[in-house]
Amino acid sequence: MSFKLIRQALNGNGLLPRMWRSHPVRDRYDVVIVGGGAHGLACAYYLAAQHAITDVAVIEKGYIGSGGSGRNTAIIRSNYLTPEGVRFYDESVRLYEQMATELDFNVMFSQRGHLTLAHTDGAVRTMRRRAEVNKLQGVVSELIPPDEIERLCPGIDVSDHPRYPILAALYHPPGGIVRHDAVVWGYAHQADRRGVHIHQQTALTGVDVRGDSVVGVETTGGYIKTGTVLNATAGWGSTIADMAGVRLPLTTFPLQACVTEPLKPFLDVVIVSGSLHVYVSQSDRGELVMGASVDPYTSYSMDSSLAFMEGIAGHMLELFPFLSRVRVLRQWAGLCDMTPDYSPIMGFTPVRGFLVDVGWGTYGFKASPICGRTMAELIAGERTPDLIRPFRLSRFEEFDLVGEKGAASVGH
Amino acid sequence: MATEMTRPQAGSRTDAHRLPPRSGEVIDRGARVAFTFDGRDYTGYEGDTIASAMAASGVRVFSRSFKYHRPRGLLCCAGQCPNCLVQIGDEPNVRACTRRVETGMAVCSQNAQPSLDRDLLSLTQLAAPLMPVGFYYKTFIRPAALWPSYERVLRRAAGLGKVDLASRPGAFDKEYLHADVAVVGGGPSGMAAAVGAAEQGASVALFDVEPSLGGRLRYSRSRSGGFASLRSSVANRPDVDVYTDTSVLGWYQDNWLAAVKGSRLFKIRAKSVVVATGAIEMPLLFDNNDLPGVMLGSAAQRLAHLYGVKPGERALVLTANDDGWDVAVDLAEAGIDVAAVVDERHSCSSSAAKALISRGVPAYFRHTILEAVGSKRVRAARVARIDPLGEADRSATRNLPCDLVVVSMGWTPDLALFHMAGGKSVYDEQRSEHRATDAPEGMFVAGRAAGAGTAACAMEEGRIAGKSAAAFLGFGDGPTASEVSDLHARKAGEPVRTSGRTIVPGRKKRFLCYCEDVTDVDLQTAIVEGYDSLELLKRYSTISMGPCQGRMCSMNTVRLCARANGTHVQETGKTTSRPPVAPVTLGALAGQNMEPVQVSPVHQWHLDRGAGMMVAGLWLRPEDYGDPVAEVKAVRERVGLMDVSTLGKIQLTGSGVPELLERLYVNQWRKLGVGRVRYGVMCNDEGVVIDDGVCARVQEDEWYMSTTSTGATTVFEWIQWWAQSGWGDGVHAVNLTDSYAAFNLAGPRSREVLQLLTDRDLGNPKFPYMRVRSTRVAGVLCRVLRIGFTGELSYEIHCPASFGMHVWEALMAAGKEFDVAPFGVEAQRVLRLEKAHIIVGQDTDALTDPFSANMEWVVKLNKRDFLGKPMLTRMSERGTAQRLVGFRMARPDLVPEEGLQAVCRDGNGRQEIIGWLTSCRFSPALGETIGLCWLPANVAAEAGTPFQIRRGGELEEAYVHHGPFYDPAGERLQM
Amino acid sequence: MLILSCPNCGERNVSEFRFGGEFNPRPPNPDACGDAELAAYLYLRDNRLGVEKAWWYHQAGCGLWFLAERHTKTQEVLKTNVWQPDEAGEGADGD
Repeated sequence: MSFKLIRQALNGNGLLPRMWRSHPVRDRYDVVIVGGGAHGLACAYYLAAQHAITDVAVIEKGYIGSGGSGRNTAIIRSNYLTPEGVRFYDESVRLYEQMATELDFNVMFSQRGHLTLAHTDGAVRTMRRRAEVNKLQGVVSELIPPDEIERLCPGIDVSDHPRYPILAALYHPPGGIVRHDAVVWGYAHQADRRGVHIHQQTALTGVDVRGDSVVGVETTGGYIKTGTVLNATAGWGSTIADMAGVRLPLTTFPLQACVTEPLKPFLDVVIVSGSLHVYVSQSDRGELVMGASVDPYTSYSMDSSLAFMEGIAGHMLELFPFLSRVRVLRQWAGLCDMTPDYSPIMGFTPVRGFLVDVGWGTYGFKASPICGRTMAELIAGERTPDLIRPFRLSRFEEFDLVGEKGAASVGH
Repeated sequence: MATEMTRPQAGSRTDAHRLPPRSGEVIDRGARVAFTFDGRDYTGYEGDTIASAMAASGVRVFSRSFKYHRPRGLLCCAGQCPNCLVQIGDEPNVRACTRRVETGMAVCSQNAQPSLDRDLLSLTQLAAPLMPVGFYYKTFIRPAALWPSYERVLRRAAGLGKVDLASRPGAFDKEYLHADVAVVGGGPSGMAAAVGAAEQGASVALFDVEPSLGGRLRYSRSRSGGFASLRSSVANRPDVDVYTDTSVLGWYQDNWLAAVKGSRLFKIRAKSVVVATGAIEMPLLFDNNDLPGVMLGSAAQRLAHLYGVKPGERALVLTANDDGWDVAVDLAEAGIDVAAVVDERHSCSSSAAKALISRGVPAYFRHTILEAVGSKRVRAARVARIDPLGEADRSATRNLPCDLVVVSMGWTPDLALFHMAGGKSVYDEQRSEHRATDAPEGMFVAGRAAGAGTAACAMEEGRIAGKSAAAFLGFGDGPTASEVSDLHARKAGEPVRTSGRTIVPGRKKRFLCYCEDVTDVDLQTAIVEGYDSLELLKRYSTISMGPCQGRMCSMNTVRLCARANGTHVQETGKTTSRPPVAPVTLGALAGQNMEPVQVSPVHQWHLDRGAGMMVAGLWLRPEDYGDPVAEVKAVRERVGLMDVSTLGKIQLTGSGVPELLERLYVNQWRKLGVGRVRYGVMCNDEGVVIDDGVCARVQEDEWYMSTTSTGATTVFEWIQWWAQSGWGDGVHAVNLTDSYAAFNLAGPRSREVLQLLTDRDLGNPKFPYMRVRSTRVAGVLCRVLRIGFTGELSYEIHCPASFGMHVWEALMAAGKEFDVAPFGVEAQRVLRLEKAHIIVGQDTDALTDPFSANMEWVVKLNKRDFLGKPMLTRMSERGTAQRLVGFRMARPDLVPEEGLQAVCRDGNGRQEIIGWLTSCRFSPALGETIGLCWLPANVAAEAGTPFQIRRGGELEEAYVHHGPFYDPAGERLQM
Repeated sequence: MLILSCPNCGERNVSEFRFGGEFNPRPPNPDACGDAELAAYLYLRDNRLGVEKAWWYHQAGCGLWFLAERHTKTQEVLKTNVWQPDEAGEGADGD
């Protein structure tokens, strides 16, 4: 039992430390991070913890974690298709593994195993390709047959009855889920402790660019003089960049998810089916957390759709026919900035001092720690770390796109 | 204590807590229904809910709470709270208070071990001080290696109902509804709205979650005189369709509503919507406010009026409004001993109050409750005077013995659907309720949801809303200004109904959220820690995220949060309303399985021959007929027949077609003569190969294009897009994919077979390779293309789908003397691989260009602008890093799996990925394994260059191969 | 579910249509484009939070590709029309 809890039990609430404080918005900061999600807060934390850059403001227009960080289905994995993708996400998984102790906050990273189902011979080929790429980079990942899938996931329909029978799966034991809000809170807490200012309910309204350099930002909390602005938003990547006069290769689509009522745990792995556009895990509270692919058309609205619910329900029952009497409790949507090559955009832009960590599509959350660390490194060192060089914005103009698109249909 | 859990024998004490028959009850006392709960026999009546039948037998504890496993009893009796969640067979989390009981039902309690009565996990309460809100974030951190074990323990305690892995979906279906006006809620205002709109000529669909219309009028004392006549006028209107037992789940864009009735999902397109969803009665926080026997006023009324069940023997009614006195009268009239009415107001002059007081019922004005006393059920209520500051005066309390505490402190308008649709509301501090202000266009709100108190006022407001909704659509003129202003005046004059009091502080647990066992102290703690905005609070404490969807806790949370932060409720905001409004089964959402399947006209023939079918996009197609090697052999040595109906088939007519094709394909088309066929590759402007296939010039202005099986739809839409945005002058495109069947007759004897069925001379001079001819085959006019994916002399025969089976059977019959064999996709894969023909989508991916795919010969950069040209020009100048090439294995009998990686050793001796295998098969013709793979351009450049393939940790040697493996000169195609 | 008006068929559920992306006309002389200009055409998008002019295809209907001006937040559809040769290269006005 943790000492903190015993102290809390004895003392009551009076002595409880605040996780993060509120401050007046100062008129200058060395670094302004736009977006108080896991990415922005992780970057703030690493700036303070590893580079002694503490004069940092995180500007969040809602509450921390109100965007994609609090809306995703919290799946963590590193079994990507390209060597650069695997390298990057594997480092992220490593950081997740040590996050609870590093942040002194239990983010409940549950490495329960991640299964990507293949329903076609083409998918089997892609899964094997991923498994081989993964293995060569030391990531545990293998193609497993239906009986093995059934052993890991009792009740899943591996018969030939479904419209798209399960032929095999890519099994990735280190994959799993994490308590997404806890990641946000943990970073916020540790960044706050080191002097970072977190300004909630404070929106960016303009970026002050003189010549080709950033000199400050306008916010609803007033003007801030700064030479470094990081756009770490999802869903507003284009809008924020537009304030700095930067046009990005982004298209914003809603991504929906839903949960069921709590059930006694029966599903101990994460199941993803690219062909059926569904991914599901069962939380430690017993709810099934389910998501699908992005909506069929662009939108900045976070309204839910019935079509999503109908679609995901049908596909869930294809995989798990025994769930027909289980009830959905809640559905919601988040916004995803999709890029042409299904890979993020990290680093410098043509405007000096205006940096981006955007275009995270449907897979941004799982990269939060490594993004925070590498972007902090980039800000502190004013050069692009090798790990994120493939994701630089200039790759589009150089026609040097990332090859992750090949695995796009199974992007979770 | 156990004796308090009344355990009747079958039927014996069914009616122990049943009231005498009363008008308005929904049970049929002539029809008994026997069922079990946790293995014990119970009986109820037809019309009973599970909960009412059990309550009639004296059951008071229905569930154990989520975290502390405290006993919980009926609270809302309206399907709003989590307290009566039970398991019925394979169905988890059923609300026992709304599910009607059926004969033979096997009902079980959830989340209690070993039994509901003695739940060992209730011991967690002892550790409660060590388990404050969010405790799990603060512990189990070190050592990290132990977290998985902790998690297993946490998971064992998680969840409520169980799933049964053997359960199978029942019969779920869907129905579309259309209405001018959809009215949600069939209480007084909803009924009036339906009639009001219908009278103006609008068609109306009226939805109510209860088994019959009437809302609170069904069970409350305050029955308005107009109720019966309103109900009959709804029933008598043919233009009002009534859907009872139907919960509206959500509002979606453009008044698209979802509703569910049992196993049927309704999808409703309405032109306007009246929200008449009523109000939700609110719990009060006081010590032990979750003790079985503490019940909302409307719940007690429902039990008594609808089911003739005594909610208790001796009731204490806690109120802050006239409704509470009505409840007390209801209970008294039902023969329940009313121990006292505790009213936090100074007085009450309602007729109900006067009647009760004159009957000698003790009234404690300016009093409130401090605690529900008891361990597993209420034994007494401790009440106290309210001091001048408005707080409970703990120095002067009294214990009033009772077994029922009725809480009737006020309501919160049910505006979930209204908010979901974008409606705005403000919190009215004086009335302590949210008030709808700005309704979205085409939405109207009425009745208790809009703050109307009395039934009469609600009816009037409903009538006006119905008229307005009709007028919005052009039916009638809408309500007059004076009608509207009269209504407003009337509403303003109504007494305040809801107390601003949320909590009576004390020393025990006061539950804010029943689903998750969150107390007011937990909420305070979370706020102190910094989770001080509503959404953070919700996420940290899990308030409102349980099965009640926030119905019992949301409003109280907002109020407590405002109080803790020293702000107003309005500033604190409210949590977002999200669909579904009521939990809905996956089965109902899914409906029947409507996954589309495409099959060829010859599908049954394949099945009859035992073909193994495989999924290819939406299609099912034969993978093989049992022996793919024999099928390959048949094609190479004799003749085979393959069903290629899945190919995309697009007819293009008009003088503009050559120009369009020049733009769409990377190769040249303008000069293709009539009767000729050409292979083409399409790229997008990124220079990525999107499809390939052949295109035939059938006549001067008539072209026939084939696409890959999976590309048919996208290619057709792609063509349409460019044709309709400037490149389509004089072009007409028709997608014939489903209208035509297509068969590939392949092999050295194919000409002889086909010749038996047609008069046309098939000889080489008349019908050479890469030509198209229209001719009758077996009497059917077909389009025959002489092409050869398999590398053999072959004919692709396209005929109308309706004649597909006829032509297929004729070909099989004609081929009999040549020992023709049907062949499937697997044989075709081998045959094409022997020719090193690529399959777009297998050997290429979403980033492959024709240069790296080894098809530079097809790209004509010297022609005018075409899709992909700028990028392809750059690629041809800059070169490509990777190439797709053929390979052969050093061990000729080893077939490495597709997807394996080609590797080399880097400077440190580590294996580095240099490419991967896209296709690989054993070639019967060559007697060795061949394949296609991606390799660095320099490795691929030289035929015979060795490279390594990593397979199961071993390295296998392979050699680069250029060109076709089989018949490199292509002589067999020209035979 | 959003209702979209096909210029041929009239108002239909959005599920009948396929979204074709932001209106992004092909440069009139692509061969003359420099790398930056070509990359801008291929990859950069306005991605407006506001009125977006985009392509839609009536997939379950008449097979028409048309343009719709839709507010990406409120979903209000201001206009739908068949492509015209003088179709404005810039997106519609709006924020």
